[in-house]
Formats: sequence, C-alpha cells, structure tokens
Amino acid sequence: PPPVDWLGSIALSLCHEWRMSGRHSPFAGAATWAAGPAGRAMSVGFIGAGQLAFALARGFTAAGILAAHKITASSPDTDLPTVSGLRKIGVNFTISNKETVKNSDVLFLAVKPPIIPFILDEIGSDIENRHIVVSCAAGVTISSIEKKLSAFCPTPKVIRCMTNTPVIVREGATVYATGTHAEVEDGKLLEQLMASVGFCTEVEEDLIDAVTGLSGSGPAYAFTALDALADGGVKMGLPRRLAVRLGAQALLGAAKMLLDSEQHPGQLKDNVCSPGGATIYALHFLESGGFRSLLINAVEASCIRTRELQHLADQEKVSPAAIKKTLLDKVKLESPSVSMASASKVSLFSSSWAPNSKKN
Amino acid sequence: GHVVGRRPGMEAGGELRVGFVGAGRMAQGVAQGVVRAGKVKAANVLASAPSDRNLGAFQDLGCRTTHCNSEVLQRCSLVFLATKPHLLPGVLQEISPAVTRDHVIVSVVAGVTLQTLQQLLPVGTKVLRVMPNLPCVVQEGAVVFARGSCAGEQEAALLKSLLSACGLCEETPESYIDIHTGLSGSGVAYVYLFAEALAEGAVKMGMPSALANKIAAQTLLGAAKMILETGEHPATLRSNVCTPGGTTIHALHELEKGALRATVMNAVEAATTRARELGKR
Repeated sequence: PPPVDWLGSIALSLCHEWRMSGRHSPFAGAATWAAGPAGRAMSVGFIGAGQLAFALARGFTAAGILAAHKITASSPDTDLPTVSGLRKIGVNFTISNKETVKNSDVLFLAVKPPIIPFILDEIGSDIENRHIVVSCAAGVTISSIEKKLSAFCPTPKVIRCMTNTPVIVREGATVYATGTHAEVEDGKLLEQLMASVGFCTEVEEDLIDAVTGLSGSGPAYAFTALDALADGGVKMGLPRRLAVRLGAQALLGAAKMLLDSEQHPGQLKDNVCSPGGATIYALHFLESGGFRSLLINAVEASCIRTRELQHLADQEKVSPAAIKKTLLDKVKLESPSVSMASASKVSLFSSSWAPNSKKN
Repeated sequence: GHVVGRRPGMEAGGELRVGFVGAGRMAQGVAQGVVRAGKVKAANVLASAPSDRNLGAFQDLGCRTTHCNSEVLQRCSLVFLATKPHLLPGVLQEISPAVTRDHVIVSVVAGVTLQTLQQLLPVGTKVLRVMPNLPCVVQEGAVVFARGSCAGEQEAALLKSLLSACGLCEETPESYIDIHTGLSGSGVAYVYLFAEALAEGAVKMGMPSALANKIAAQTLLGAAKMILETGEHPATLRSNVCTPGGTTIHALHELEKGALRATVMNAVEAATTRARELGKR
C-alpha cells in the first residue's frame, strides 16, 4: 500500500480543522482542497452522470471541498438533464468512462446496479493501485466488485457506500464499508468527502441494505408525507405554495430538534401534545391508520427488495428491461465481446467473457 | 353533639374514626388498604350495609359493622359513601340530619358529581369525590380525588394520607375524574384482556396456560414497576428492549400493524365518554 504522504496528512488535517469550524462555509475558491493519496489536490470521477453523480458533484463543490474542474463525469447518454447540470457547475463531462478513470483518484460508480458488472469489465484494465473505487449501487456487494476487478488488478481498493439525494443540499446521510484492500486512510478520505455533504459514518457491510431501506429511500417517504401534509393544508384553506413551505419547514424543524436533543422522539412528541388539544386528536388519526406500521413496512420492503436485487445480480441474470436499450447498445459498441445469450435474459458471464479476455 | 373547631375527623382522644356507608368491593378495598397500612385501627372503622352479605369482609378485618347508616355518621367524622349510584340520593336524604360541619364526606360513588353531592347534603358540608380503582384491594390502586367547595387543604391532606395506603393517590380537578375512569378505573380490565392475550399466545406456542398466565402477569407487573421506578419515558424503555433485528422489534411491528395504540386510545376515549354521559344523568 502507498505510504501516507506527510504533505497529504498535513493537508488532510487542515481540511479536517477547517471543516470542523463550520460546515457551511462558502469556500468556493479556497486553497484547502481535500488531499488525495499523493498529497496533491484530489480528483474525483463519476462513472454515470445521473441524479447521484449530479447530487454529489453539486454537494462537493458547494461545500468547497472540491473544485469543479477536479471532477470528471462520464456517461454514454448525453441527453440526460443532469449532464447539462453537471456542465453548468463546471464539471468535466466526457462520454469515455476510461477517461474518467484515468483522471480520478477517487472513482464513484454512480450507475444503476445492473450496469455495474458491465462497467467493471469495461474499465477494469484501467484501474490501478492508486484508485479508490467507491460503489454507490444499492445491493451490490464489495465481494462481487472485488471479484470482477481482481481479473485486472491484484489488490483493488473498493469501498461500498450508501448515500441519499439530500447530499445535493449537503444534508445527506451516508454510510460506507471498506473492502479487503482499502486502507483505513482510504475510508477516512471518503468519509471526509461525504461528511462535507452531510452525515457520514462507517458501518459493517451487512447493515447497508437496512440503511438503504431507511435513509436511502427515506427522502421519498418524506416527499410523499410532505405532499400529503400540503394537501391537508390546502384542504383546510391554505394556498399550495405556503402549505408546502410550512410542511417542509415543520419536518425540517422537527428533525433538527431530534438530532439536537438527547430525548426519545416519543418524549418530544409528548411535549407537543397538550392534553385534549389539537395535536393529540390528530395523532389518534395517525395511529388509527397504522401510520407507524406503514413506515416500518416501508423500510422493511425497501431493504428486502435491495437484497432481492443483489440476489438477482449474484445469479448473474439481468433482464434487458432493467437496462435502457441505448445504454446497452453503447456498452455493446465498446465491449464487442458482450454476447446476448438469449432474447429474454442476459447472462453476464457467457462463454466469451472468460476472466482473462482483454477489452479494447 | 359535636364540638365546633375540632380538627377534622378527629374524635376525642385524637384517634381517627372512619366510616363506610355501603360495604361493597370498593369500600372493602379502601378499608383493607387503610387498616393494613396502619393508618386507622380496625376497631375505629365502622361500616354499614342493608344486609350482612358484605359486612363479613369488614368483620374479618376486625372492623365494626351496623345496619344503620346514621350511626356511621354519629360515630365517625370521616365517612366514605360507597353505595351504588342509584341508591345514593335516598341514602343522602336519610343521613343528612346527622351530617355536621365537622364531618368530612368522601364519595366513592361513580358518576355522582360534587355538585349533586353538595345539593343533597347540608350547606357547608365538606365534600370530596374520589375515584379509586380495583387494585386498591391489594394496595396497588390508582386513586384521584377532587375537593368540593367547602373542603380545604387540611381535608385534602388527610384524605391523601389515608388513601396513599391504597396505592397512588393524587388530587385533581373534578374534570379529570371521568378520564381517570377511562384510563385506570376501566383500564384494569384492558390490562386483564392484554394479559389473557399474552398467555394465549404462549399457549399457542406450546406453554401450559397456568404457567403462561402467571408469567404474563409478572411481565406486566415488572414492566410497570420499571416505568414507575426509573422515571424513564415508556418509549425510551421500549427502545432499550429492542435489539436490532431481534425478537422484540419483530413482535412490536405486529402490534403496530394491528394499530394497537389507536385501539387503546379508542378504549380510553369510549370509557371516558361513557363516564361523562352517566355523570349527566
């Protein structure tokens, strides 16, 4: 493993101190960039230029931890709305995944889970020891990625990460688990990056599916709740915009109270419910509707589905419907050895994909 | 006659004499509580009832008994009214001539308001209204009481001191009494239902019912004791029991799916509403 460069470690601790002094400092042009493994300012790449890549790039640049020109993103699909968004913030965009790999120290795999194996086969030969490969794909295990990459690189550094969309406003929730060859410093480097866009902590890999169910999907539950709360407000006479604004602020404020408090949410709820008052009447309705169990069911369903998808991927059977047709065609162009085993299913390990076959 | 100015409830010699008009389960429970806790000597307790049916329990306790309601008023200064609601007006009419300003009249009769009591008793009578619950019988009751307009702090303190022998005792505004009925008066039955259901679940899973019942009851007792002794919010205690992915959280999910919380709220609401309705009749 590369030695921890003393310049790099000074830069890391400078960044840490700066970050600890106030997360939201508008440091667009600061010289205290996050340091990469070689001590120079770190480069970050995104394979995939969709919602996740955009959210993270936006978050990192807004936090001032990374300059936009140190970020590269690639995708064969240039029509994505997020592509123009990325260009606007100054990110280098390319259609070549290989170019992204070459220009990155930390490489985020920001594509949908079924695409991961294709990507790994495509870029595997460009991965070097210096790279930190970070997979954000739900349900894709570290071992499946390491297995794929070990065909090309003996000790690939892999970190598995589960984040969520509010990284875009720097209130993300991220967990990560380090792979076999990732060093402690590599994990800390990722943690530093992700902490600039919200909460980040290391976990054991077997918890990541549960995190997906809770905070990965969580914003969607919140959006649904907010939509409905706003409807309630509108029903009782509020203009829509005001209802949305107030609903969102109420949830934001409540979440902040809970994070700042030592108290159990049950206690905080009690504090709001004056005897015989409006709130307890409303809560009774929520309880009658099984509100709590619905939320428990949701987290459970998302977690189970994540595991299912992983199981499907492990079986190495992916239906073409899961992969957009244009993407598949483009992948086929770049990797001519991909063969379609049958019309209904794609086998990712058909006979022409022997582990040692070289790609163009 | 009674000497004006004597401390409430105190007879000559300073010993409190407590009377019960009506000797049913609730009266027995309160009597047992105060006597066993040593608050009142059994010999200083006098209970009246129309028949001997209920008086046996008082006699077993060492208390005195009579068939004459007015005698209770004559001999005791602190008198519990523990008749059935529909009998109370008649009883009050009967005893009113014997009621003086030194008496402390404590009604344990469900659904009868302080206003009604004060209307049916002589003007200026010190009246308090109590809502106990069944476990007073084992000195683990939950009791609330409210003061009438002529009952002062001394009377309240005396009553609280006596009734604390039966368990938890708190003074409240009268409006809380119906809520207490819904929560704790009837609430005891909800707990019995829950205990039964717990045991049935265990029987289904293979445990003999006698053992299951015993364990169910002890579980409820232990959990309640933890709430009372730790002072922690029940939500915190609940979270503390739930290890990630463990048995408890799986079970709690089932309870939430069944909307247990809302159902319990409905029960308390229904009982409280009914208590209010009955109180208006």
